[in-house]
Amino acid sequence: MARTSNKNIQVKLVDSFAGFVLVLDVSYSRGFKIWLSVLIDTLLSFCQVLLGDMGTGKTSLVLRFVKGQFFDFQESTIGAAFFTQVLSLNEVTIKFDIWDTAGQERYHSLAPMYYRGAAAAVVVYDITSMDSFERAKKWVQELQRQGNPNLIMFLVANKVDLEEKRKVKNEEGELYAQENGLSFLETSAKSAHNVNELFYEIDFPFKAHGYILLAAKRLAEANPSRQTGMKLHTESHGSGRRGFCCS
Amino acid sequence: MYGTQSKRDLALELQAQIPFLRPSIHARRANITVKFQDLYGFTVEGNVDDVNVLNEVREKVREQGRVWWALEASKGANWYLQPQIASISEGIALKSSLKLSSLANAITLKKLIRKGIPPVLRPKVWFSLSGAAKKKSTVPESYYNDLTKAVEGKVTPATKQIDHDLPRTFPGHPWLDTPDGHATLRRVLVGYSFRDSDVGYCQGLNYVAALLLLVMKTEEDAFWMLAVLLENVLVNDCYTNNLSGCHVEQRVFKDLLVKQCPRIASHLEALDFDVSLVATEWFLCLFSKSLPSETTLRVWDVLFYEGAKVLFHVALAIFKMREDELLVTHHVGDVINILQRTTHHLFDPDELLTVAFDKIGSMTTNTISKQRKKQEPAVMAELDQRLRRLNSLKMDDK
Repeated sequence: MARTSNKNIQVKLVDSFAGFVLVLDVSYSRGFKIWLSVLIDTLLSFCQVLLGDMGTGKTSLVLRFVKGQFFDFQESTIGAAFFTQVLSLNEVTIKFDIWDTAGQERYHSLAPMYYRGAAAAVVVYDITSMDSFERAKKWVQELQRQGNPNLIMFLVANKVDLEEKRKVKNEEGELYAQENGLSFLETSAKSAHNVNELFYEIDFPFKAHGYILLAAKRLAEANPSRQTGMKLHTESHGSGRRGFCCS
Repeated sequence: MYGTQSKRDLALELQAQIPFLRPSIHARRANITVKFQDLYGFTVEGNVDDVNVLNEVREKVREQGRVWWALEASKGANWYLQPQIASISEGIALKSSLKLSSLANAITLKKLIRKGIPPVLRPKVWFSLSGAAKKKSTVPESYYNDLTKAVEGKVTPATKQIDHDLPRTFPGHPWLDTPDGHATLRRVLVGYSFRDSDVGYCQGLNYVAALLLLVMKTEEDAFWMLAVLLENVLVNDCYTNNLSGCHVEQRVFKDLLVKQCPRIASHLEALDFDVSLVATEWFLCLFSKSLPSETTLRVWDVLFYEGAKVLFHVALAIFKMREDELLVTHHVGDVINILQRTTHHLFDPDELLTVAFDKIGSMTTNTISKQRKKQEPAVMAELDQRLRRLNSLKMDDK
């Protein structure tokens, strides 16, 4: 990106919810709209991480969400896979950065690298496997201790299309989620049941939305003629954790 | 940003194409995506350019085959298996003339292998040069058969995980994804899980073993290749319970990136991008999930002859090849996308290996071993700390 300007304005936004400071370096030359969209894009990119036992359908959930695809046999994930999804909702573009991690227990020693900066964690279990539910509980415990204190956590019971093989009752998952203050959803990557709901329901980015529009308005008022070319970065604040890990 | 990027890509493409007449230029501009099968039966999605590159690669493979046959004709079949080659490093006294000729052979062989072993010769060359043949010769002839028979019908956590992963290993492959393919891969993986119970089964080995089967053709040879790979070629404990060996390799890799590609390293550092985010999969699957099959196998050609340091060369090369692009990224996501796009489209193995061995400074196995030694205590301490934290969670439960 060629930056032609030499003038910078700094806007500081303190988001009390996520506990970080956003510093926007605005250098302007032309096209108000462009920088606004860049600004919103960047601000609303949002990092999530999926965790859970092997074969619970983490990759399938992401693929259903990102590409609308489903495969009965999905390649096993090694280390982690990265996905991006850009959505336009109400004229606001939101970028979802998603880390989909490997499920096998020995890979858990790698997990902190992926959940360290995530804004939301989705812990997945398979309703046909009690073991996977137990593993999910361990994940929740670990995240409660290790993750960002502001981390949004979801407990997801996947594979509800396999109702006849169900081993973990809906109530069990719901109760555990309630006790631990998690959002709970039953999903099926295969039938697409609740998949979009899962990713849309994480409404955290909208929190920042108001600030951005306010900042944009002020900037527009202050410099009515010529703004654009936005350099934007997030600075971590206090805890050293970053709300938007992938930005 | 995107505009300038694609222009640069195009310029590079055009440069690379000067010697070739490409009637497909219009089709390429139209950016048509086609599906095709590569040399090892994998379905690949790519553009017309990729198909052309792959055709060139096929032609190069044939050429390379002719070079190998010519050498066999002049030096005798199995010349590369001559015991003198192996004994150079062991310092066994030889007559000076013999020493010289074997040294010459070793140099020829190293160069030759970096240019690629023809697919038909791969099973034989890998088997002897990797040390698999030697390993096999130390046990009774019936070892593998006895092992597979002895473990038949046994159920362990490892076998359950293997069964779960069989249909998820390169799904859609014309042989691997058949009952016969599943059964064969299962025997190799289950057999190995009993041979080394510390490793048991680690996800990632399914891809490695599958590709070994495709190359070696016989499952027993694939089994021994897997054994020599885990027990001799790679660093210890890459695949055991907490992947400690893999953690060590990642730390060494980070240090090497700082040394070999300082500009990239400091840019990524500024983005708060940890290279292990992408490199972990490369090291655990030995690139089989990221690079096209022939390119992966070309990496393995060198890996089996020169050792695990080759993985560092190749991983560094992937970053190095995209230095300009990587230096203008602003987001972690962009970095990952560039690297993924690069690896998936590396249909020309020479493009990668030239950078890996000519543009990356040489690293001796010795210096890398020292670096591993240096990193080990920190990794162990970190893993230990994590374990204690998790255990304290369990205590809280009670």
